[in-house]
Amino acid sequence: MSIALRDKLMLMVAVLLAAVYLFPLYWMYVTALKTGSAMFASPPSFWPSDPQWSIYGSVWESRNVGRYLWNSLVIASGAVSLIVILGTGCAYVLARYRNAWVDVGLFLILMLQVLPASLMITPIFVGFSQLGLLDYPRVAVILAIAAKSMPFFVVLVRAAFMSVPMELEEAALVDGNSRFGAFFHIVLPLARNGILVSAILIFMQAFGEFVYSKSMIQTIEYQPASVGLNSFMGPNTNEWNNIMAYAAMYVTPILAIFVLLQRRIVSGLTSGALK
Amino acid sequence: MTLHQIELSGVNKYYGAYHALRDIDLKIRKGSFVALVGPSGCGKSTLLRSLAGLESISAGDLVIAGTRMNGVPPRKRDLAMVFQSYALYPHMTVEENLTYSLRMRGVSKEEARRKAEEVATTTGLSALLGRYPRELSGGQRQRVAMSRAIIRNPKAFLFDEPLSNLDAALRVHMRKEIRALHDRLGATSVYVTHDQVEAMTMADHVVVMRQGVIEQQGAPLELYDRPANQFVAGFIGSPAMNFVPAQVGADGRSVVLDLGTPHTVALTKSLEAGRVLIVGIRPEHLQLAGEADAGLRLPVGSVESTGAATYVTTATQPELVVVLNSRVSIRPGETLPLHLDPAHLHLFDRETQIRLA
Amino acid sequence: MRRLLLSIRDGRGFDIGLVSVPLIFLFAMAGLPLLYNIVMSFQEVDMFSLGTFARPFVGFKNYITLFSQPETWPILGNTAIFVVASIAGQFTIGFALALFFWTGFPGSSWLRGLFLVSWVMPGLVVGAIWNWILSGDFGVLNFILKESGLVSANIFWRSDPNFSLWAVVIANIWLGISFNMILLSVGLSAIPRDLYEAAELDGANVVQRFYTITLPMMRSSIGALVALGLIFTLQQFDLFAAITAGGPNNSSNVAQYWAWDLSFRQYDFAQGATISVIMIVFVMFASVVYVRSTRHEVRG
Repeated sequence: MSIALRDKLMLMVAVLLAAVYLFPLYWMYVTALKTGSAMFASPPSFWPSDPQWSIYGSVWESRNVGRYLWNSLVIASGAVSLIVILGTGCAYVLARYRNAWVDVGLFLILMLQVLPASLMITPIFVGFSQLGLLDYPRVAVILAIAAKSMPFFVVLVRAAFMSVPMELEEAALVDGNSRFGAFFHIVLPLARNGILVSAILIFMQAFGEFVYSKSMIQTIEYQPASVGLNSFMGPNTNEWNNIMAYAAMYVTPILAIFVLLQRRIVSGLTSGALK
Repeated sequence: MTLHQIELSGVNKYYGAYHALRDIDLKIRKGSFVALVGPSGCGKSTLLRSLAGLESISAGDLVIAGTRMNGVPPRKRDLAMVFQSYALYPHMTVEENLTYSLRMRGVSKEEARRKAEEVATTTGLSALLGRYPRELSGGQRQRVAMSRAIIRNPKAFLFDEPLSNLDAALRVHMRKEIRALHDRLGATSVYVTHDQVEAMTMADHVVVMRQGVIEQQGAPLELYDRPANQFVAGFIGSPAMNFVPAQVGADGRSVVLDLGTPHTVALTKSLEAGRVLIVGIRPEHLQLAGEADAGLRLPVGSVESTGAATYVTTATQPELVVVLNSRVSIRPGETLPLHLDPAHLHLFDRETQIRLA
Repeated sequence: MRRLLLSIRDGRGFDIGLVSVPLIFLFAMAGLPLLYNIVMSFQEVDMFSLGTFARPFVGFKNYITLFSQPETWPILGNTAIFVVASIAGQFTIGFALALFFWTGFPGSSWLRGLFLVSWVMPGLVVGAIWNWILSGDFGVLNFILKESGLVSANIFWRSDPNFSLWAVVIANIWLGISFNMILLSVGLSAIPRDLYEAAELDGANVVQRFYTITLPMMRSSIGALVALGLIFTLQQFDLFAAITAGGPNNSSNVAQYWAWDLSFRQYDFAQGATISVIMIVFVMFASVVYVRSTRHEVRG
């Protein structure tokens, strides 16, 4: 068959595959709009006949979604800030050199990102409670998330720094900059895109973090949206439309960011970090 | 019994709206070495890849060894190609690289190994059969690429700028080796290069291309002595031919060169008086003359000496490049006495740039 | 030392400073807890001794207790099944998608990005959605299965002990497809095009080219992916919390969920620490494999 026909066919198949893959997302939005009875109808309808747009408002109010989302925002922002401040310089140094020390550093960092949160939470909880950090639960979670996600950030940003040619930094040094000056004024701006993309990815991960938040934040006022969703879904729950509405409100900001920056994110990931 | 191993008739290729190959007619004799040469973007690689089947032809006929091959997939064409990057399989040893094509066709392992050893002896790779491509030098990799082609005993060899990644000295050496191999095997070869020296020294038949069109094809010296147009004249030969605007004199038997100041040179044939044209003079054809028989006296602009030859650029408008085969002590500002044989004049129509008979 | 401090703005002190501060932080926040886990697994820990560091040392008692409990081996078995099934599913589907998109038809790069969605979504939300999709009576998956004739009656994914683990596996496969696809896409595009052309001229058809060129050259990508898959699957917690909470009756319980459950539901921190230590050993092993199969370069 001709190339043009083949291309069109592939495109159609791709759209079909994407539709199947994205179905769960679609289902979430659709279920949120269904009435109670429509939800339990069998066969289930794939398009709500009577969309209940007001459900978003009522769930927002009754479940205090605003407060939950605010906590998620605080925690995620705190974690990302900490990670960016500490991790950027670290990634820069690890990109600049290649010797035994760097190998050890990289190895340690890679090893640290493999530890599951649900296994680390036990000693972290006990340790924090001994230090009294649990009185500031969100800070505790921020610290824990920062430690968990920083290795990933360092790996991604290191790749961004590696794409900045050494010659530029050397030229800056010859021109009279100190190491700090060369880093801050020359190298850092050039790696800015990679750092931004990595920070956004880390933010999205931290926004959805669950284990640390659930384990360390007992007071409802400080719990983020993930914990809120979990407590919403008891074992015998059946108000799925409300739950889906909550989930939709929780996830839509993330999806919006993703759709806007999709190209950047994909190219950032494929360019170097995953080698 | 076909005399021609490969025949292209009226071949055209489009990439969307871009007309990459225009009405290509090319017949390649069995056993000949054909060079496709031209500047970047002229379509030579496209033509080669179309022969291989890696690109499809939009119109025209491609016949290989008597069979029409339009639309036939590459693996059925029985052609071997040496890529510019060599395309050696990095995860296979040299021997496995060589025997790959045989294994794909189901040849037994012992037979394949025997053939590989045979070919390796011919190309001097016997000691390297167990190595991986990353352990080899550029020249060795090049020979592996060729051996991989040789082992298949194909209907023709296709070379896609195989020497561009080598340094100059190695290139000169490999040029001779490739031609020697071609002769020894009695092969038919199509060789793409942007370097006209390679084309001139290696080929039996040179095809000069520009923007998808064959400007001229023929034996190397034919192209050198009688270029069909200004483009071929300027492309073949190094340093490039000098072009001077000129006008036929009133008597029709001489031509006045416009070098800022007029200089008259005799013609071998008479032409229409007053006709404007372009005159081409190869740098090596301007010879140092004694004062008596100096037909041209030109002011010197710059002088470069390589020890064996002297390159003089004249201070005229346009500049002329002169190559003198000896050491000449002359300095910028002085006058250079030159002799030019009228038989070495190339005359081109000023508008069409085509050679005047 | 003084020289190092002086060179903080310029020279070696700068580099060391930039690296050491985060490393100290990481060591404190990750290295110390690791050690603490090991220490706690050898101690007797209860609600009252949480505040102190010096707790009674009980040797291997926690480990013995752990392995004498009836649910331990089934849970470890579940963990193994979960890991193997997830990786197998994610890898095959991810590879198929990567190959499909690698053909490069117009629109492929844009569409491929859509598949990354699952990676950025909070695990709880993914779990909640799949919980609803897998619902026994009203879930849409059962509806589709019945309509297409694959099953005759509703499968109670979440409450049937035979299926509960598979419910989470299905959700986890969906979650992991994007990562697998991206990694394999990167590996695929690293293979130079002219190798395929050379192979084609040498007589290899599509299948042969796949087995002799594509697969061998993807070896390090595949190795890295399987090791990473192991690591990330062992980290998966949110889906369990959202779909089955390990039940019913530990039929869908896995080691990483159980460790948390022991500490935070049953307040048996010592046991939680014990199983954590065991699992961390496995994870470390996998990560060594991963580190070996990745390559590192220095800046140009």
